[in-house]
Amino acid sequence: MSPSVDYHCHCLASNSAPPPPHLPSSSYSFHPLHELFFCEECDAVRCNRCVSVEVSGYYCPNCLFEVPSASVRAEKNRCARNCFMCPNCRNTLSVVPSDPPDMDDGRSPSAAVSAVGEPPFFLYCNHCRWDSAEVDITFEKPTGLAAQLQKYEDSAPDSLEFERLKEHFEPFLRASSSSALAGPPPTAHSHHPHVNPITAAASSALARDIPGVGKYTPHPRGRRDKGPRDDMVEYRSRVEVGGSSTMGEADVEFMRHIEEVSEVAALEQRWANSWATSLHTSDLKPLRIPLHSKKSKRCPTCRHILIKPEQKAQSVRYKIKLVAANYLPSIKVALPQPMDLVRRGAQAARPPGGEGNSGANGLHAGDTYPFTLSLTNPLYDPIQVRLSVQRQIPPASTTVASDAAPVEKSRRPPFAVSLPSSAFPIAAFAEAWEYEDDEDMFGVDDDEFGFEAREKEGKAKNKTVGVLEKRANVTVVGGEVVIGKDAKGEVKFNMLVSYTYRSDDPLPEDDVRGTPSRTKAPEMKTFSFYTVVNLGSIVPRQETKMDTDP
Amino acid sequence: MDTPIYYAKTEFIETDTGNKVSRRATIAGPQNIILGGKTIISNGAIIRGDLKRTGPGHAVVISLGRYCLVGEGCVMRPPYKTYRGNFNYYPMKIGDHVHIGANTVVEAATIGNHVVIGKNCVIGKFTIIKDCARIADNTIVPPNTVIPALALFSGSPGRFVEDLPESTQEIVEAHTKHYYTRFQPIER
Ligand SMILES: [Zn+2]
Ligand SMILES: [Zn+2]
Ligand SMILES: [Zn+2]
Ligand SMILES: [Zn+2]
Repeated sequence: MSPSVDYHCHCLASNSAPPPPHLPSSSYSFHPLHELFFCEECDAVRCNRCVSVEVSGYYCPNCLFEVPSASVRAEKNRCARNCFMCPNCRNTLSVVPSDPPDMDDGRSPSAAVSAVGEPPFFLYCNHCRWDSAEVDITFEKPTGLAAQLQKYEDSAPDSLEFERLKEHFEPFLRASSSSALAGPPPTAHSHHPHVNPITAAASSALARDIPGVGKYTPHPRGRRDKGPRDDMVEYRSRVEVGGSSTMGEADVEFMRHIEEVSEVAALEQRWANSWATSLHTSDLKPLRIPLHSKKSKRCPTCRHILIKPEQKAQSVRYKIKLVAANYLPSIKVALPQPMDLVRRGAQAARPPGGEGNSGANGLHAGDTYPFTLSLTNPLYDPIQVRLSVQRQIPPASTTVASDAAPVEKSRRPPFAVSLPSSAFPIAAFAEAWEYEDDEDMFGVDDDEFGFEAREKEGKAKNKTVGVLEKRANVTVVGGEVVIGKDAKGEVKFNMLVSYTYRSDDPLPEDDVRGTPSRTKAPEMKTFSFYTVVNLGSIVPRQETKMDTDP
Repeated sequence: MDTPIYYAKTEFIETDTGNKVSRRATIAGPQNIILGGKTIISNGAIIRGDLKRTGPGHAVVISLGRYCLVGEGCVMRPPYKTYRGNFNYYPMKIGDHVHIGANTVVEAATIGNHVVIGKNCVIGKFTIIKDCARIADNTIVPPNTVIPALALFSGSPGRFVEDLPESTQEIVEAHTKHYYTRFQPIER
């Protein structure tokens, strides 16, 4: 693993500080910058775990047909055209006639031959060679297969039972949704805008059956208890399960006599089905392909839209796209090249053959390593950045499990990080600095920064902590990590980044990141965020010795 | 910035539009191949521009856009089939910013823009890969597969794993441009 920097999202937690980097929960609250969103309204980072997601359109991942939401329900969220999945390997199936004409090289009949040939037609997998004739599914015509398959699906006992259940609950749901609209005070309702009648019904059913689970119910208790569910008649299932069922025994009998594991359908082969299916691999049926969806994303707090895709299913453009990378500086971390280490004499402690990939493969206990952070400013205005290491909270009861060392020892941080202590500038982003067609971008345009840029050579040699380099909208700073003699684990620390920028008048909605300069007196604002920097894992002392001794 | 990827200057031919083609790659039927510019064809790659539709004259067999990378030991071969008794090859069209990892075999019909394909993959005949999709290392994509935009595929057979982030296009574009900038000759 090469060194990495990930960004924190506190996901609406009241405490906005991230967990210590060595807790397992740390990896859940940090994300690569390009996966994060930014809400201008709240002036906050948002991530995929906390945004609210809405489906903005459905499409079939195989034929790419955009399915109107009206038909999605009737077609049970699966493609109603000629798209099927192999029940054995989940590859897409082809429709082939009974007399396959010249099969290319004898391997795979391709989709294009399906229009010709003799009935009956069947579905064939060109990856694992499964075909639907094995399970007695053949078709007279090569068209409208999905409708025929859906008929099979809909006549499954489970499906019929589910339909009956829905019918049974329908009047109750209708009654409760209308009373929900009329009944509860507006305050209670506004707190839970997402509670639909089904959730409410499920929630109150749970509350009744399992003591102490009723807390979720957003409505005042007394009122709801008089609800119409008490008037409901008892439901009687179509088939009595349990009593006379021989299913279980048959399964036991089958399992007792299997000769090969492949006779039993794997879990993965069965759970793509809507209903419980047979254990026998030989019973698996072709599956209509489940639809995919395009999604809009909203800020969980203010409900402003952060992501709104274009309507067309295969378009990769967005009508709205507020991503954190357009607001926060991006940070890349690197450990220096091996030759630098040679110069520093660190090579001596290195196991033979271990060089070449330098620190990326291991930092040695007892050594000191310089590292660099290159920060890139995405804003059209210059920013001032300040970095600091988050103070280590003693990992009281959460010491690393494998560590049997005494408490005081594990409490002492196994490494110490130095970062530049003063604020440093990063120049504004300008379109001209994009890579586009300029291999010679390095070294152009010294005028603007000439002063500091020329310093870099001299500085870098005798100093590892501080500003090392400035060019275009990138500033490279150096840091240093001293690793303790008995250190183990990863060199991973939380870093607080604060940057100050000039804030202009609120921008028009559609101008995502333009901050044209104004004549007004600028107002300075500061934004802070946490990152976790992972420099790599520590190679413990003993290991080094074992490698070098023999 | 960042470490250059050096190659021996004599080992590559650079065209007017900045394509860099290894002398140790096999380019069959070059008159039927189009490279969009700033595209790199690595050592040991095999590109079969000679497998063209029957008939006289030129025809574009394989076209690659700008900022593409065909990795070491890749095989790019146009798809073929027998349709109504006639055997034929069909053209392969690849968009801009497409990186193909080492030792991957590609027989796709179309690959969109900003697509990243890992190493040691097999992309079966007539596969269609839409924009910003990604194929993990060692994936086997069976013939005629359709891979939707912004999808990650992996496994054998290759299956949908997850949707990729909304900023995939920018990430891939920055990566391919950056890679081209880092790919620098040294005199030897
Ligand atoms: Zn979040
Ligand atoms: Zn479909
Ligand atoms: Zn299969
Ligand atoms: Zn918000």
